[in-house]
Amino acid sequence: MTLNAPEKASGQAPEKVLVIGAGMVGHRFVEELVRGDRDQRYAVELVGEEEYEPYNRILLSDVLAGRSDLKAISLPMPDPGRVQFWRGVAASAIDRESGVVHLSDGSTRPYDRLVLATGARAFVPPVPGLGVSDEGGQPRHVHVLRTLDDCRNIAARAINAKHAVVLGGGVLGLEAACGLRRRGVPVTVVDLDAHVMATQLDAPAAHVLAAQLADLGVDVVTGTSVAEVISAYDELVAVRLTDGRIVAADLMLVSCGVRANVELARGAGLDVDRGVVVDATLTSTDPRVHAIGDCAQAPGGMPGLLAPGWRQAEQLARMLTEPTYAEEADETAGPAASQEPVRLKAAGVDLVTMGVRASTARDTDRVITLSDPAGRRHVDLVVRPDDRGEPTLVGVTCLGAADVSATLSVAFDRRTPLPVDPLALLLPDGGRAEESTSPVRMPGSTTVCRCNGVSKKDIVAAWEAGAGTVEAIAGRTRATTGCGGCKDVVCGLVDWLNASDPASPLSDAGTGPADRPLTDATSPLGGGRSTDVTQRNITAPSTS
Amino acid sequence: MTRTHCPYCALQCGMTLTPSEEGVSVTPRDFPTNRGGLCQKGWTSADVLRAPDRITRPLVRGESGDLEPVSWDEALAYVAARVRAIQAAHGHDAVAVFGGGGLTNEKAYQLGKFARVALRTRHIDYNGRFCMSSAAAAGNRAFGVDRGLPFPLADVAGADAVLLVGSNVADTMPPLVQHLGPVRAKGGLVVVDPRHSATAALTDAESTGAGGLHLRALPGTDQVLLLGLLHLVVADGLADEEYLAARTTGWDDVRRSVALWWPDRVARVTGVPEALLRRAAHLLADASPARGGAGAVVLTGRGAEQHTDGTDTVTAAINLALALGLPGRRSSGYGCLTGQGNGQGGREHGQKSDQLPGYRMIDDPEARAHVAGVWGVDPDLLPGKGVPAVELLGKLGGEVRGLFVHGANVLVSAPDALAVRRRISELDLLVVCDFVPGETAQLADVVLPVTQWAEEEGTMTNLEGRVLRRRKALDPPGEARSELDILADLARLLDSPAAFETDPATVFDELARASAGGRADYSGLSHARLDAVEEGLFWPCPAGSDGTPRMFTERFAHPDGRARMVATTPGAPADDLQPDRPVYLITGRVLAHYQSGAQTRRVAALNRASAEPFVELHPQLARRLAVDDGDDVAVTSPRGTAVARARITTGIRPDTVFMPFHWPGAGMANAVTNDATDPISGMPEFKVCAVSVARADLATALHEAPRPDTEEIPA
Ligand SMILES: Cc1cc2nc3c(=O)[nH]c(=O)nc-3n(C[C@H](O)[C@H](O)[C@H](O)COP(=O)(O)OP(=O)(O)OC[C@H]3O[C@@H](n4cnc5c(N)ncnc54)[C@H](O)[C@@H]3O)c2cc1C
Ligand code: SF4
Repeated sequence: MTLNAPEKASGQAPEKVLVIGAGMVGHRFVEELVRGDRDQRYAVELVGEEEYEPYNRILLSDVLAGRSDLKAISLPMPDPGRVQFWRGVAASAIDRESGVVHLSDGSTRPYDRLVLATGARAFVPPVPGLGVSDEGGQPRHVHVLRTLDDCRNIAARAINAKHAVVLGGGVLGLEAACGLRRRGVPVTVVDLDAHVMATQLDAPAAHVLAAQLADLGVDVVTGTSVAEVISAYDELVAVRLTDGRIVAADLMLVSCGVRANVELARGAGLDVDRGVVVDATLTSTDPRVHAIGDCAQAPGGMPGLLAPGWRQAEQLARMLTEPTYAEEADETAGPAASQEPVRLKAAGVDLVTMGVRASTARDTDRVITLSDPAGRRHVDLVVRPDDRGEPTLVGVTCLGAADVSATLSVAFDRRTPLPVDPLALLLPDGGRAEESTSPVRMPGSTTVCRCNGVSKKDIVAAWEAGAGTVEAIAGRTRATTGCGGCKDVVCGLVDWLNASDPASPLSDAGTGPADRPLTDATSPLGGGRSTDVTQRNITAPSTS
Repeated sequence: MTRTHCPYCALQCGMTLTPSEEGVSVTPRDFPTNRGGLCQKGWTSADVLRAPDRITRPLVRGESGDLEPVSWDEALAYVAARVRAIQAAHGHDAVAVFGGGGLTNEKAYQLGKFARVALRTRHIDYNGRFCMSSAAAAGNRAFGVDRGLPFPLADVAGADAVLLVGSNVADTMPPLVQHLGPVRAKGGLVVVDPRHSATAALTDAESTGAGGLHLRALPGTDQVLLLGLLHLVVADGLADEEYLAARTTGWDDVRRSVALWWPDRVARVTGVPEALLRRAAHLLADASPARGGAGAVVLTGRGAEQHTDGTDTVTAAINLALALGLPGRRSSGYGCLTGQGNGQGGREHGQKSDQLPGYRMIDDPEARAHVAGVWGVDPDLLPGKGVPAVELLGKLGGEVRGLFVHGANVLVSAPDALAVRRRISELDLLVVCDFVPGETAQLADVVLPVTQWAEEEGTMTNLEGRVLRRRKALDPPGEARSELDILADLARLLDSPAAFETDPATVFDELARASAGGRADYSGLSHARLDAVEEGLFWPCPAGSDGTPRMFTERFAHPDGRARMVATTPGAPADDLQPDRPVYLITGRVLAHYQSGAQTRRVAALNRASAEPFVELHPQLARRLAVDDGDDVAVTSPRGTAVARARITTGIRPDTVFMPFHWPGAGMANAVTNDATDPISGMPEFKVCAVSVARADLATALHEAPRPDTEEIPA
């Protein structure tokens, strides 16, 4: 599969690439294309419906939660020298025959190559009273969360809201629920499935998560849905659940998944299913039109997540700028849609899932589970031999174990060698041993002064040879004369030696070490006395 | 009694030399950097003066193929004749010079002049390219000037927080740790390192009572980590907007660029838990003067810099410091911890392929005119820009037929060292100036014996930009001579149009004139002046000035006085993990040794402390590979294999192995490292490559490892 990327641009007019949608994926595509297109073979234009500067959509949950300043989400503006950016303008129709796109402001833009990155919008299910159909508008204070405007409106309502209902217990719904709770609004999450985050989690982990959410003050109701949205004078007042319960609410967030924005493509007669249908080279049924991101239905599925959209953006940009790239393109396909890593971004909850879950593991897989509901922890690991027989981490569900989740992500992403016993993966830092620092308990061979390589044994020997103060020990062994960091330990040793032996060098300089009584329990060397200590002269470094 | 400084690292600890039976003995001296401390290397430094295999006579490879002693006249005449022949056949650029960051300012200056006017070659560079170039490039780009620490080291003690990225100072410069004491006591030390190095251990609660943070980032992800910290600074509203508005340009670009590095993405890439990232960001921000703290300092070392995106990584560190409003404020700022003894001065006076003395650019006509004026030559005679070290080594045996090596042991210290060895053996002429028969000297056609630190006068510029005096305590052995004398003689034999002085104080005066008006201005300094001040003086020190301990308090060195913030994009390691090479190799130093070990491996006490190379690996990985502590382990990349004993420790990530790079032979780490370089600085990626690791007796397809060098050299 090749894309016929032009080999050379010499003398030719640049090819016009028109990108529709300035969301996370369209933005990334433009950036990668401009970066790779060193000899300016392409003239790039970007059309985006939202009026804002491009922003990081996935951080909207953090903004909603008051965890992130708005300043932290603006993305770099496309280089004005390379990209013409039409902001706050929507594409309303594509005329494929003449190769132009009609814009909402009445103008048209011609293209040689069209890239659709129109993304998705929140899906609002047909619930009575929600007003999704044509009879009447949506009651006030019912929202979705997809855009910066949505986020602002919800945050504004949250100031006065007394109780919020979130319909949908997926990742986004839970992030939003935690965010609202953080803003002080009591929240009930309603989910039709038997447990929250059913797409990613098995029941045991989901139950621990629900308990953790309850701790944070987020109420979760599962196995039921909203039967009716009740409003008075167009203002939301409550929702009635399918089990008959009524929950008073003056703020509602509908978070029931997304639908791809495909109207433009459908109107142009392109093949559209749940998304714009594209092949492995991200090309639609028209070879001049590509689709990437949430609006695209690639052979791998429609995960609705950022990472795969970014991979597509990068893949398409490279196919257009690197003539040799196309052949390898198929190999860059990431994990299957259902196996993409997902993290719940909410203060107080640390949850990450990736790959195979425990319930779908094969009989030959090793599955390690840590179940600690009372500690609000649950970890499932799935380990499977790869085609070379090396065990690899193919699935992770990690809740409440922040210390290890980053390590597990690395092992999953980079396929690094696993411990023989995968249980070790559950230990933070791979199980770093504690080292004893008490001068009394440490073994004689322990290095006390790293700078000068002086061991406890050396210090004890110096003391026995008459060095009864830190200064004297320093003079004999050079301990403490580098960074000085071991001074406390040397002090401790000297104090302990002096205390453990009344006939110390200070009080009786004439007493040789052999004359002093020694019991194993108090022996500075733990039972044996060493004489093989190198004595060093402070003014003449030994050369032997 | 002679007051001088340690010959090794850039801390340049003060020491006193006293005549003794064996020559001189060393005692530490109270100096601002070491406060009376010395590490084991410093204590034993006098041993190298009396190394049993010191070279005391010039050697030329004779008919027999062995290096044979000859007279100075013969040796220099031979060198001059060979240089003439090569240049006549292949042009001036066919002879190259490879310098070192351990040479005094005087020698570094003279070497640059020698290359440009006596050899008239554009091909000169130095081993500082391996250690300082990325930080230098980033510093120049951001601040308009590159001085490792733009403030005295002692300022660090006043800070509430210190972020150390990729630097193991507790092993490489132990006395420096004294300056971290107060910060550690406040729990303010943050160390980024894949290993629980001696420095990372300084953050352990048990070691300080307070406990700092150790961020154990995956090798090659330092930049992502820094971008993640900056993201948090923005997200949590911790940036010093007033400072940014008044003193920087480019903040808007940088702020937007970090919108792409939100915490959980960064945690995923770096392997550092999100909670630790958040704590680190707040620790630094709370310490910043703008938020009422006593100060915060960001420091980088080779771990952050020796990458193909090293310049950008340092830039990210600088951006973080600028966003917090640190540079130019009390007990605050960004700094890079220079490694080699004169790594700072070595890069200021003309050893770099594109620079003339005073940190002037060789392609700047004004700079050429000024320096040519001092040298008394026609500016048009000066060659143009050369190429950075790795590229230069790549030309050996090809475009470059003859090579002078001064103060460097490239056969051990260059990346992909086996390839360097192959290319060096293709040379028509290799001249090595050294005081011991290092690995590179053993391959030379001509070896010229030179003086060591305690046998010469000169100046060094330490990691703070403090210029200090190196003083002579005893005479050199045998016929060893200073490079200043050698270069002067060779220049004469090559009919150099410029004269070469030999007295260090006179050479320094010339250097001072050449640097006048440059970025690193030494024109207010002289040996006599430095002798009069006990603690040295900081450059820039134009005539009439008392030097500049603290830079940037009012303005940065760009014409508009502002610091430039540049948005960066992290790159992946050039040689990243593969299914058959699933482990990262990182390299570094141990306390007892210095650089290629040519000096420290000749000190018995240091060899006792650290006798041989090793491979540090985690017990999990060791068990997987059926490796026991002490087993020989083979570490292999497409470039070569190194075999060394296993040292099993939980102090390293399970996906990473560590090797020190001080040893030649079978355990030579640089046989394995990658010579991919940073596109801006030319610095090679020593600090990460993908390897396979196996017990040596099980390792299949072992690349042929070089035999340890055994050649005898007559003394
Ligand atoms: C609050 C929130 C949190 C999320 N968290 C995560 C997460 O943690 N991890 C993750 O992987 N994913 C997350 N997602 C999903 C992620 O944001 C999407 O997968 C990603 O944004 C898809 O990018 P896109 O560019 O394809 O679509 P979008 O970002 O939706 O962008 C499409 C853009 O195109 C514009 N557009 C549409 N039609 C037209 C037209 N006709 N003319 C012009 N412009 C048009 C739209 O206005 C929009 O700006 C989250 C989503 C939200 C809302
Ligand atoms: S090697 Fe460095 S730290 Fe050690 S004594 Fe010498 S200058 Fe000081």
